[in-house]
Amino acid sequence: MAKVPLLKEVVKLIFSKPATIQYPREETPVEPDARGRQYADLSKCIGCSLCMIECPPKAIRMEKIPEGYEVPKRNARKIYPVVDYFKCIYCYRCVTVCPTKAYVVTNEYRLASDAPVNSRELSLSTLKKAGQEPSQGKEGVNRR
Amino acid sequence: MTEEVSKVDKVVEIPMTVEIPVGPQHPAVHEPILIKVYAEGEYVVKAEAYTGYNHRGIEKLAEKKSFYQDIFLCGRVCGICNAVHADCYVRALEHILDKEPPPRAKYLRTLVMELERLHSHMLILAVTAEIVGFDTLFMHMMRDRELIMKAKEIVTGNRVLADYIMVGGVRRDLNTEKIDKLKKILAKVEPRIRHYWRVFEEDVTLNKRLVDVGRLTPAQVTSHGLLGPVARASGIATDSRYHDAYDAYAEVPFRIVTRREGDCMARSLVRFEEMQVSLEICRYILNHLPGGEAVPDERRLPRRFPEGEAFTTVEAPRGELTYYVMSKGGVNPYRVKIRTPSYNNVINTVPFYVGHTIADVPAILASYDPCISCMERVTVIDSRRGIRRKVSMRDLARGEA
Repeated sequence: MAKVPLLKEVVKLIFSKPATIQYPREETPVEPDARGRQYADLSKCIGCSLCMIECPPKAIRMEKIPEGYEVPKRNARKIYPVVDYFKCIYCYRCVTVCPTKAYVVTNEYRLASDAPVNSRELSLSTLKKAGQEPSQGKEGVNRR
Repeated sequence: MTEEVSKVDKVVEIPMTVEIPVGPQHPAVHEPILIKVYAEGEYVVKAEAYTGYNHRGIEKLAEKKSFYQDIFLCGRVCGICNAVHADCYVRALEHILDKEPPPRAKYLRTLVMELERLHSHMLILAVTAEIVGFDTLFMHMMRDRELIMKAKEIVTGNRVLADYIMVGGVRRDLNTEKIDKLKKILAKVEPRIRHYWRVFEEDVTLNKRLVDVGRLTPAQVTSHGLLGPVARASGIATDSRYHDAYDAYAEVPFRIVTRREGDCMARSLVRFEEMQVSLEICRYILNHLPGGEAVPDERRLPRRFPEGEAFTTVEAPRGELTYYVMSKGGVNPYRVKIRTPSYNNVINTVPFYVGHTIADVPAILASYDPCISCMERVTVIDSRRGIRRKVSMRDLARGEA
């Protein structure tokens, strides 16, 4: 009596696909609006440091924008937030408190690496270098 | 010879007791707790619980961070019931601010908490199956639990840590497309839960290992302050969703599930029936979601809090969870006190292992649904002498701190 539901299940499973996802070879299905890597769009950022103050794990540091970039006038102090993705807990508090909605959100979750990973290059790529077009737009990074 | 025998007027039996440590690495669930079991042969004669392996000092840390940063910190007290912790803390903040979230936000909070109850119950039932030696059932249940994790990802943006609840509402809204997706997932999950329910009720292995094991009487439950499904499986109808009627529970129809047997099997079956009730609640919410705004503008929330204190409760998957938040004005809370159901359910039930076999100990422990990371947060600081030390819950309970 007790064996019947399980036997049926076993027969069904023999002929079904495995549930395991072969991760590096196959992509894990992620929702398009899942909380993944986020970075500041420096064309909107005003350098107010509110995201750094509000960040729960203190993963955000304000850094000086290096020479050679065309910084918008609104960002008078010429600083921008750098997110340390190893410390970040992906709560998106920085995204929601930003007064200019400068954060670009993606669903990129594959962040494992040996070297430190931060948002420096991604953020700087949103700014024009003197006499050049920005190399990477907002949409270029979003996987889906 | 007969003379010698007659000299013996008393036979003293010397018990051969063996001390067996169960844990601290993964005694039943994959969390550290040490239960020292003293056994005579196969039977337990004495048991002691040793905790403190997972202490992180969260309550002290909460005093140093701002009210809003603590929402995310409280969510990380426990990975499984993170939305429940955040909801309890946020409701305390709302009491201090005298703020009421909009009805749509209340419904969405309830939806996330019920999804959490679903996956939490599925996890512990799967672990119960694994402990009694039924690994296949564990694998199957964990596979189907993934559907609910997906539902949680659709609503909150992350499959485990929701970070969904904010003062004055929630942080994301649902659209019709997402509601359809969720309904499809719930329709898929329901027959699976019914199937596993039937397996638990009918399977010979599970019945032999769980029926009449770890039986708790209603008197023991009330005298030891046990909570949640453990109490409800012994016929005590305690459920703060009903008594407190927080968030949308005042409007959503549901029932308290109780059973009379009080053994491990009853606790498992109470969880199955609660999952059924949770599914009904989720479906009701998706069909009757009120309109209006649910997401507050976090940039306009007050940064400084007025003086005040609040005490809130929620029904976590493991039982009644309470938060006490005290504000003396400013940006940081003066005190955050967390009281989790696992502490009562795990520590206070230690005497009830006596009389069972050693093999039953993990099965009984799993049936209490222990959440060790919930239990351990206390740091004691002696400010006069400038000494700071961490004290395990056990020492606190003995008054040695």
